[in-house]
Amino acid sequence: MRITKKAWLFLLFILVPLLIMLLSLLVGRYPVDINTALHVLWCRITMQPCQVADFYQTVVWDIRMPRIILGALVGGCLAISGAAFQGLFRNPLVSSGILGVSSGAGFGAALAIILFNQVAATYTFAFAFGVLAVVLSYLIGKVYNTTPTIMLVLGGVIVSSVFSALISLLKYLADPLNELPAIVFWLMGSLASARYRDILIAGIPMLIGTLGLIAVRWRINILSMGDREAHSLGINTTINKGLVIACATLATAGAVCVSGIIGWVGLVIPHIGRMLVGNDNKILIPVSFSLGASFLIIVDDLGRILTGAEIPLGILTALVGGPFFVYLLKKTKGGGW
Amino acid sequence: MKSLLEVQDISFRYPGSLILDKVSLCINPGEVVCLLGPNGCGKTTLLDCILGWLKPCEGQIFLNSNDLSAMSARQIARFLAYVPQNHEKTFPYLVRDIVLMGRASFLGPLDRPGAEDVAIAEKALEMVGMSHLKNRPYTQLSGGEGQLVMVARALAQNSPLIVMDEPTAHLDFKHELIILETIVELIKKTGLSVLMATHIPNHCYYFENKGILTRVALLKNQRIMAAGRPSEVLTEENLGQLYNIKTRVINCCLEEDGQIKQVVPICTIDGRALN
Repeated sequence: MRITKKAWLFLLFILVPLLIMLLSLLVGRYPVDINTALHVLWCRITMQPCQVADFYQTVVWDIRMPRIILGALVGGCLAISGAAFQGLFRNPLVSSGILGVSSGAGFGAALAIILFNQVAATYTFAFAFGVLAVVLSYLIGKVYNTTPTIMLVLGGVIVSSVFSALISLLKYLADPLNELPAIVFWLMGSLASARYRDILIAGIPMLIGTLGLIAVRWRINILSMGDREAHSLGINTTINKGLVIACATLATAGAVCVSGIIGWVGLVIPHIGRMLVGNDNKILIPVSFSLGASFLIIVDDLGRILTGAEIPLGILTALVGGPFFVYLLKKTKGGGW
Repeated sequence: MKSLLEVQDISFRYPGSLILDKVSLCINPGEVVCLLGPNGCGKTTLLDCILGWLKPCEGQIFLNSNDLSAMSARQIARFLAYVPQNHEKTFPYLVRDIVLMGRASFLGPLDRPGAEDVAIAEKALEMVGMSHLKNRPYTQLSGGEGQLVMVARALAQNSPLIVMDEPTAHLDFKHELIILETIVELIKKTGLSVLMATHIPNHCYYFENKGILTRVALLKNQRIMAAGRPSEVLTEENLGQLYNIKTRVINCCLEEDGQIKQVVPICTIDGRALN
C-alpha cells in the first residue's frame, strides 16, 4: 500500500514536468502541432535527417527546447534551494536568496554589463559574485568556530543590503541609453536568451547542487531541529550545514547567472510542496524541484503567449503564483501550521 | 561496576564568568541521577558539556570509559540521547518523522531511514503510549504529548543513557505524572539510565519511592554541594541551604504505596532576596 502510493507520487512528480515541457514546445507566437514537434524531437535525438520544414526545426529544437530545459532547471534549482534553506534556517520565511546570492549575482551582472557588455562575462561575474556573497555571509556568521543560524541569517541580510546598495550605485553610474536598460532587464529575470551553451555551462553547478541536496535531504530534517538537538541526534552540524549551504548556493548561483533574478519561486514553491506532500524533507526536497520546474515553464509560456512583447519572468512569477498559492492555502487549510 | 558516565572535575567558563567549578558526577547502569539547583546554577551548562555540545576548559568526561572530547557527535549520540527542555517547533513534521530522527546516528551521511528504522521508531512510540498519534503533525500535540514524543525520539536512539533537561517543565499535574511514570516504566523494563535536571525535589523522592536506584546531586554556586540518595541528601538543612528556603520533609504511609517521602516548601528565609 505504502510502496504503491510512493511509486505513484514518484511517477507523478516526474511525468508532470516532462508533459509540461512537451506541451510548452507547441505554444508561442508560431504554433506547432504535436506531431511536428514529436517528429523534430525524434529526428534530432536519433540524429536522422528530418522531413519537417527548417523553420519548425529551428523553432522547436533551437529556440524553444533550450529555453524550456533551462526554465525547468532554473525553477527546480530555485525551489529546491529555497526548501533546503527553509529547513536549515528553521524558518519558513526564508528563500533561496537569504544568504545574498541573488543580490551578489545582480551586482556581478551589472558590473559585467558596464565593464564588458558581453554575455559570457555577465554569466561569469554573476556566478562569481553570487558565490562570493554567500561566502561573505558565512564568514560574518561564523563566530567562535561555529555558525549559529541567526548569525548566518544576519550575515545574509547585511551582505544582501550592501550588494543592493552597490547595484543602485552601478545603475546610477550606468549609461542610461544602453547599460541601464540592460541592467534593469537582467534584474527582472528572463529566459529569452537561452541557448544550449547556457545549459551546458550553468547546468553543471545547478546539477551538482541539486544532486547534493537530494543526497543529503533527510539530514535537513535533523538540521531543522536546531544545532544543539541535531548534535545530540548524532550529526556534525558544522559540516552538514556547510554542505547544504554549498549545494544550495551552487544551484542558486547557477540558476541566477543565466536567468537573472526571479523572485518568489524559492520562497513559495517549497510551501506549495509542504501543502501537497507534507514537511518531511525526504519527499519535500525532490518534490520542490519538480514543482519549481513545472511552475517556471508554465509561467515562461504565459510570458511568451500573453502579449506580443515578452513579460519579464520575475514579474509574472508573483502575479501568477500569488493567486494559485492562496487557492492552495484555502484548499489544504495550510497543512498543519 | 563500570560507570556509564563519569564527569571528572570539569570547569567551564564564559569570558568573565565561571559557570562550573570542578564538578564531578557519575552515573551507573539502571540508575536515575537528578540534578537539582536554583536557576542559573549551571545545570544546563553541565548537561551541554555532557552532550559534548560545550567543551569544558578543565577536567574530563568519560562515556563508558571513552574520552568524550575525542568522540564524534555520532559516537556520542549512540551512547546518550537528549530530551530538550524547550523544543522549538518549526515545521509541522508528523510525529513518526520526528521519532525517526532518533535513528540519525545509525545512518550514513547519504542514507535515509529504512524499514528497520521505521519499526524501531514505531516500537519507541508504543513504549511511551503514543502510537495512535503517529500520523499527526507534532505541532498539534499538547505539551505533555509533545514531551512524550521527544522521549520516544530519544528511545529510538537506542542509547543506554538519556539526558533530560526539565522534562516536566510547563506540564500540568497529570502530564507530569505521565512523564514520570513513563520514565519509571522504561527504567524497569529496559535497564536504561537517566540523567535529569529538574526544579522539583519531589521528583527525586518519586523515583526513590518507586524503588528505582536514585541519586541526587545538588548544584549550587558552580559546585556540587552534596550528592547521594534522596533520603540522605534532600534534607531540610540541605534544601534550606540550596534554595534559601524553609522546607519540611514529611513521611507518610499510604495503604497502596507504602512509605513515601515528600518535600513541602514552607517559606523563604532571606526575605525574598534573589541571589
